[in-house]
Amino acid sequence: MTTIRQRIRAATVGVILAASTLTACSGGGGTSTNGTIEYWLWDSAQQPGYQKCADAFHEANPDLKIHISQYGWDTYWSKLTAGFIADTAPDVFTDHLSKFAQFVDLKVLRPLDDIAPTADIQDGDYQEGLAELWKGQDGKRYGAPKDWDTIAIFYDAAVLKAAGVNPSDLQNLNWNPKDGGTFEKLVAHLTVDVNGKRGDEPGFDKEHVKMHGLSAEGSGGGGWGQTQWSAFAGSAGWQATDKNPWGTKFNLDQPSLQDTLSWYFGLVNKGYMPSYAEIGGTNSLGTDKQIQSGTAAMGLSGSWMISTFTKLTDAKGKKLDIGLAPTPIGPSGKRASMFNGLADSVTTLSKQPENAAKWVKFLSGEQCQNIIGQSGVVFPARPAGTDLAINYNKTERKLDVTPFTQQVKDKTTFLFPVTTNAADITALMAPRLDAVYIGSSPVTSLTKLNNQLDKLFEVAS
Amino acid sequence: MSIILDSTPAIATPADDVSPEPQRRFGIGRGLAWAFMILVILVSLFPFYWMLRTALSSNNALYAGGDSLLPVQPSAGGFERVFGLQTGQAAIDAGGAGQEIHFWRYLFNSVVVSTLITAGQVFFSAMAAYSFARLQWKHRERVFGFFLAGLMIPSIFTLLPNFVLIKQLGLVDTLLGIALPTMFMTPFAVFFLRQFFLGISREVEEAALIDGASKTRVFFTLILPMSVAPITTLAILTYIASWNEYFWALLVSYTDKSRVLTVALGVFKSQTPQTGPDWSGLMAATLVAALPMLLLFMIFAKRIVNSIGFSGIK
Repeated sequence: MTTIRQRIRAATVGVILAASTLTACSGGGGTSTNGTIEYWLWDSAQQPGYQKCADAFHEANPDLKIHISQYGWDTYWSKLTAGFIADTAPDVFTDHLSKFAQFVDLKVLRPLDDIAPTADIQDGDYQEGLAELWKGQDGKRYGAPKDWDTIAIFYDAAVLKAAGVNPSDLQNLNWNPKDGGTFEKLVAHLTVDVNGKRGDEPGFDKEHVKMHGLSAEGSGGGGWGQTQWSAFAGSAGWQATDKNPWGTKFNLDQPSLQDTLSWYFGLVNKGYMPSYAEIGGTNSLGTDKQIQSGTAAMGLSGSWMISTFTKLTDAKGKKLDIGLAPTPIGPSGKRASMFNGLADSVTTLSKQPENAAKWVKFLSGEQCQNIIGQSGVVFPARPAGTDLAINYNKTERKLDVTPFTQQVKDKTTFLFPVTTNAADITALMAPRLDAVYIGSSPVTSLTKLNNQLDKLFEVAS
Repeated sequence: MSIILDSTPAIATPADDVSPEPQRRFGIGRGLAWAFMILVILVSLFPFYWMLRTALSSNNALYAGGDSLLPVQPSAGGFERVFGLQTGQAAIDAGGAGQEIHFWRYLFNSVVVSTLITAGQVFFSAMAAYSFARLQWKHRERVFGFFLAGLMIPSIFTLLPNFVLIKQLGLVDTLLGIALPTMFMTPFAVFFLRQFFLGISREVEEAALIDGASKTRVFFTLILPMSVAPITTLAILTYIASWNEYFWALLVSYTDKSRVLTVALGVFKSQTPQTGPDWSGLMAATLVAALPMLLLFMIFAKRIVNSIGFSGIK
């Protein structure tokens, strides 16, 4: 997710930002006041949908135009930070939960409650819990909810068929940290070694596996195991912090997490999951590529990957038949999925906060979110928009996305842990969890990591 | 090149065969050497082949044929995206970014920026190097020491101050803004040329000065022509470096009017944290962007090699 260099850059930039507030920048450039609103996003797949929103907005407000710039994730944040320093930042930009706390601290986000057009945004208009994620510790709203995502299992239907597995069996899997439950049984059965022996057959060679039953996406140290182990830890009743958002005490020392991780990373030793070396460690191959290349039979991934998965083909160009299943039921008796979302924020550098807020209000409003829902790339934050996205997947892609949406209905989701010092947490967590995944450190080493995180917050707060 | 110098020099006519090698054209040793050379060439060219093979594959099928030596689901889509022939939804469906790409515009911008930087940097650095190598002035060595310290400052430190300066000069989103920081000099260029100028014999220069030439004239009519080889080397290195510059150009550029090739083709990199790059587009882009530099190298390769065996007096 983030490289060491990015982290260092983020840290230095923080220092420089603090220093730069002392030296006022002058001159033009950056945001304009001539009625053109600069809007930035990073996901190219979402750009066509938002362009439609921009056109609709211009129709409703003929004196205002939206100029959308798209920069890929790797460059987006550096360019944005440089923009904050040199006063060339956009008026409105797509914000991310792992970044927004730092931006609030650096005072580059304008509270939406303070600008008339966005002052009346209602939490209740969005999927439950989404809007609350974007409130700072001061209780003010810094982002208007845009979309949401959850986690589910993606699988290749042809592989299941070859293994004699009925897809409906996947809809009610359970797991526990002792023997892995029916989930591990399935993973073992889907694992095939080079001699064609399955993981649950005698004579299975775990050292020479051709296809693993479950994909891996690295150790998950960079994002609280979102697409790796968070669904398992969550269904064991574990929460990352004492409260969310803005927790200050961490729970990495609890047995519920350590047992979960011990079981999860233990799948590597059994040959059921690719090792760190096989998928390229920190910048790992995604689940989509592992399923496509036949390295894995199924795997956990996020709803933002639906369009990527449904485009995959085999070497002859024939579309893969991709199916979905919900994350397994855990020791708590329930399923679990991390619930996360993006939002749009207004920068303090905007010379036209009122106009910027109008655009944000429109982005978070019904008309735009329905447009986004009909493009089927993500699930819009408003329930009506979500329903349109569900329909789009059903009719256009012949894909039932219930595994992603049901958990929101059943309230079995838990929110992405929002904290301050996100960059420092990643810097501490990623190498430690990598070590556990590689097998060079025991799971109990996370207790020490937990103490470090707690200390970090004692010092930093 | 194997010239064996005898300790007893004999006057050899071309007809004489003094070569120690036997007449046998193709011995085992030579065969092995050839085989080894061919192997080395294949190994070093393979990555380029792999790029081409990936560029000609379909992005959505790529990982289904990871072990195939030939393109997977052959398609020219990668190159079409690079030249901006495939737009919008089609590109997104193929795993690309769907951005509008005005390839020739970016190529032109890259040429302008690289030429500005190379011409400016080489010329001004040569002047500074001459002053450090030949002119006598107070505290010269100390100033040069400070100057060299500039080599030790990582560019990431100067990045933001430079950016703020460019912003204050009103040069954000202009080609000049991209070229400016390295257009006048870099410590490396000054240091590099100074080393060569120090090696030029003083006698030639003194003779010119006695004949009444000014320092300026000496610089233009003696020093520069005698240093063609190192200056060419420096120019090529500078050109390639500024051609490949990415991060600074990315910061300064906001619209197509100042977008250089490296930044424009950056859209083939990962667009979101998880989806991974548009590999076929990225490889096609890399090949296309590297092509002008490969040509440059082919044309000037001899010069670069010659400049290493450089000497002052002909």
